[in-house]
Parts: sequence; C-alpha cells; structure tokens
Amino acid sequence: MAVEDVDGIYAHFGGSSAHLIKLHQCAHLASPPPFSIRIPSPSSMAGFLYALRRIYLSLYNWTVFIGWFQVLYFAVKALREGGPTTVYDAVEKPLQLAQTAAVLEILHGIVGLVRSPVSATLPQIGSRLFLVWGILWSIPETRTHVLVSSLVISWSITEIIRYSFFGMKEALGFAPSWLLWLRYSTFLLLYPTGITSEVGLIYVALPFIKASEKYCIRMPNKWNFTFDYFYASIIALAIYVPGMFLVLLIIQVNKDCLPNCFNHISSGSPHMYGYMLGQRKKALSKSKTA
Amino acid sequence: MKVTLVSRSGREVIKGGIELADGATVSDLQEAIHGRIKKYYPSRQRLTLPLQAGSQGKPIVLVPKSKLADYCDGNANNLTVLFKDLGIQVSYSTLFFWEYLGPLIIYPICYYFPVYKYFGYEGERVVYPVQTYALYYWCFHYFKRIMETFFIHRFSHATSPLSNVFRNCAYYWTFGTYIAYHVNHPLYTPVGDLQMKIGFTFGLICQISNLYCHLILRNLRSPSGNGGYQIPGGFLFNIVTCANYTTEIYQWLGFNIATQTIAGYVFLIVASLIMTNWALAKHRRLKKLFDGKEGRPRYPRRWVILPPFI
Repeated sequence: MAVEDVDGIYAHFGGSSAHLIKLHQCAHLASPPPFSIRIPSPSSMAGFLYALRRIYLSLYNWTVFIGWFQVLYFAVKALREGGPTTVYDAVEKPLQLAQTAAVLEILHGIVGLVRSPVSATLPQIGSRLFLVWGILWSIPETRTHVLVSSLVISWSITEIIRYSFFGMKEALGFAPSWLLWLRYSTFLLLYPTGITSEVGLIYVALPFIKASEKYCIRMPNKWNFTFDYFYASIIALAIYVPGMFLVLLIIQVNKDCLPNCFNHISSGSPHMYGYMLGQRKKALSKSKTA
Repeated sequence: MKVTLVSRSGREVIKGGIELADGATVSDLQEAIHGRIKKYYPSRQRLTLPLQAGSQGKPIVLVPKSKLADYCDGNANNLTVLFKDLGIQVSYSTLFFWEYLGPLIIYPICYYFPVYKYFGYEGERVVYPVQTYALYYWCFHYFKRIMETFFIHRFSHATSPLSNVFRNCAYYWTFGTYIAYHVNHPLYTPVGDLQMKIGFTFGLICQISNLYCHLILRNLRSPSGNGGYQIPGGFLFNIVTCANYTTEIYQWLGFNIATQTIAGYVFLIVASLIMTNWALAKHRRLKKLFDGKEGRPRYPRRWVILPPFI
C-alpha cells in the first residue's frame, strides 16, 4: 500500500502502515490453539483497532465532506435563483449539521485518534460555532446580509478540500498531488474572505444583539452572576484577529504536529497568512522532489 | 581553550569563537559573550551542549558555576556550545510586583469610586459588611504576596522572559477586574452572616498557613541562591508536596464561600488547574531526583496538591 507521504502531513499515518507491515510478518507465526477459542494476540488486536480507526475516520471525513458539498451546492443554486438574501435559508440545515459535527474533531484530538492539539482546534471550532449558532441562528436579521454568501462559500470550499483530502488519506492511504496543491493554494483567497465575512457578520449583528437582550443574565441573583451577550460579542470581535496570533503561537509550541494543526485552521490573521505561504512553498517544492 | 558559539541554525554567533583560560567557568564564558555582544547579558543566554545527531533526550545545559573543562569530553582545548537568546529578561520580583499590583489597585477602585455609574447604575449604592470585609481580605492577600516577593521568596531562576509580564498581568488584572466588578456591584446579593464568617475565617487561617509554608520553603534554599532542591518537610509538607499551593487554593475557597460570585469560583477553578499543573511537575521532579539510589534519600509517599483527590 502506497503511504509515501506527499507532504509529510500525515506523519503518524506512515507510522501506522509500518506497523501494519510488521503485523503481516507476524501473522503467519501465530498458530491457532488446539481448541476452537482463539484469543486475539496483542498485535492482532492492535491491527483490528487500527483498521477500525481507519474505517471510522474515512466514514467521518467523507460524511462531513458530503455535508459541506451540499452547503456549496445549495448556496450557489440559491445565489443564481434568488440572490444573496436567500442563501442562508437554502444552506441552513447542512451548514448546521456539518459545522456542529466538527465538535467530534475535538474529541478525536482528546482521545488521541488524530494528532492535532486540542488547544489549537478548540478556538477554531469555537469561533465557527459562534458564527453558525451564536450569530446566524440567534440573530435572524443577519441572515439576509450579503456576507452570508461569502461566508458559506469560503467555508464550504475550504472544508470540501480539507475533508476530501483526509478522506482520501484514510480510505486510500494517499491523496493526489493536485488536492495537496488545492489545500495549500486556496487558502490564499479563502482565509481573507472567510475572516472578513466572520468579522463583518458579528459587527452587523451587534445592534440587534443589544436590542434583543438575548442570552443576558442580569443581577441581582443568588450567585452574583452577570452575562451580557453584547459585550461578550464585542470581546469576541476584539480577540478575533490577535486570537489567531495566539493560536499560531500554540501551534508553534506543538511543533511536531504542526502540519496537522492546519487541518483545522480555516480563518486567519495576516501573520498566519504569511506563515501558510511559507508552508505552501515548502510543501509544494517537497512534492515536486518526492 | 577556544569556545565556538553556534546558534541552532548552525550560524556562528561570535565569529572566530572566544578564547578563555583553561580553568574558566561557564560564568566567565557568559561574561565574555556579554562583553562581545552587549545586549546578551548572562541571564538572557541559554547555553547547551550540542545534541549528537539522531539522539533523543534533553540537551545538557551549562551551569554557571561549573568549569568549562567539565563539559569537554574529548578535546580539552575546544568546545562547541549551542547558544539560544532567551529574549529580554526581567527579575522575578519585578514580574510578581507588577502582576500583583493590578488587583491591589483595581479592586479598591471598584469599591470606593462610582465606577458603576458608567455601566448605567445611577444613584447611591448600599454597601454590605461582607463587601467591606472582602475588600480588606483581598487587599491583605495581594499586599502579603508583594511582601513575600521582596522579603521571603527565594527563586530558582533569577529572571523570567519579558513576555511573561504581559501574559501574567493580563491574567491577574483581568480576573481581578472580573471579580471586583461583581463583588462591589450595586446589585450585589450578600450571603448569610454565618456563611460569611465561616468563609473569611477559614480563608484567613489558610492565608496564614500559606505564609508559614513560604517561610519553610525559603529555609530550604540557601541564601547563595543556587536554587537546589531539597525534600520539603514540616507542617503540611509532611503530607503534601505543594502545601503552599494547597493553602492558596483553600484560601480562595474561603473568599468565595464568603462572597459567593460565579466570577470568584471561575477564578478559583482556573487558578487551581494552573497550580495543579505546577504541583504535578514539581512532585515528579522531586520523585525523580530523590530516587533512593546512590545514597540519595527516597522521596516519601505524599499527596501532590489536594488531598484526598490528588
């Protein structure tokens, strides 16, 4: 099975296949005991779990891929038929499903199924969920804004490329070089458009958040607790751009799984943009010499 | 002997290396580097032996008091040292002073000045006794911390990177503001009298215990400040490795029992997590250092930070 990593991103994947080769070598050594109960040996158990992991991750990645494909399809269809104000209603269900499913990726990181640092994926997925549920779903006045179109198109194209990339890696053991090229090139446009749309929509939502008093907890109460959704959204806005710097810093600390981390980055700051440009150069030149 | 100084990318930091006497110490090397490149004062230098290609494990850090010759394994006349710039350094006292100053100033501002007017709460506000006692408790706590920083603590490292000042100040000042805002709020709801008394009394006992723990820790380290490790003992240290963190956590618990704010409890949880991380590292370090071999004492079985949980 070809597991020559085109870009070294799935380094741990290569390790797993080496294990599989070793497994194959051991398989013919184990002879079944005289009675019919066969107790699985540690190495065959590990091989079984390995296969299970791969099947699960293939299913996961391709399922979510289909979700995002639907988002893109319905978005483009709605744009052509009804215009930007109709996009949200057309994509709402697949968008909510596909984006919320990404919470599983945090779980994957925690249990060690994939090698991404939770500290990097958490703020990324957090910001996505904030947009999908906290802004678009909670504040209906934002749904007809033109930025919704740019948002869902930026997100869906990025995610389609990303999930198909990992779907292929898990299912087939490799990903074609054109897909790798797409991964490292489309961000050049999609990062700026995505982040602009996110920041813009939060900004557009602010007056409506303030007026609706939604999700606010006021004092007095027994636990002396307050929460003001308006101020929380402003703080979210304020840490958005430097927040991306922070995520980048966390990624730098977890250097050994650096390439894995960009799996989950779909919005960025100027600094990150520059960093990805560097990564792109490295990855694409590496694939040329491989 | 000649010392070749290289950065991790392989570039020579000082062209041509540095010539030193054969009996020179690492400290002499640090002074020489500082002499050649003004901005690299010794506390900013991290000097390690280059790792052999392909070998794992932690690099060997050059200790200031040791002789350079101790690090040469073959060639006694040549030594290659890896240099890393740790960035601008500040003394730990400076760092602690600034991070504690914020809460010490912000909290009384919320108590004494009409800041809530700017949040839309006009008019006179009623101040409950618990809010006044909370002010005294809080200010005593941070004043104590500042005093301990200057007169009690003996630090294992002389300095800390400048970036930590911003990070730590953000942490303390933000949480300080968050808690001060809620406890001194015009619409604050106090707890019952008994609960308040239990909270503050328990908290005070823990603060005093915490002070005693710091005194014990101070006496473990010699004034010459070489930051060596000893097995802590006496008072609560007989049963828990990081008794100082234990008392600190419980003291915040006392404050929260008395003042009852979500803000205070969030701070308690975050602070406990941070301290537990430190405590686990320290406990592990002590157990590894005092393994009972080669005449070293064996680290006794103890709780790490919060009996009976961990």
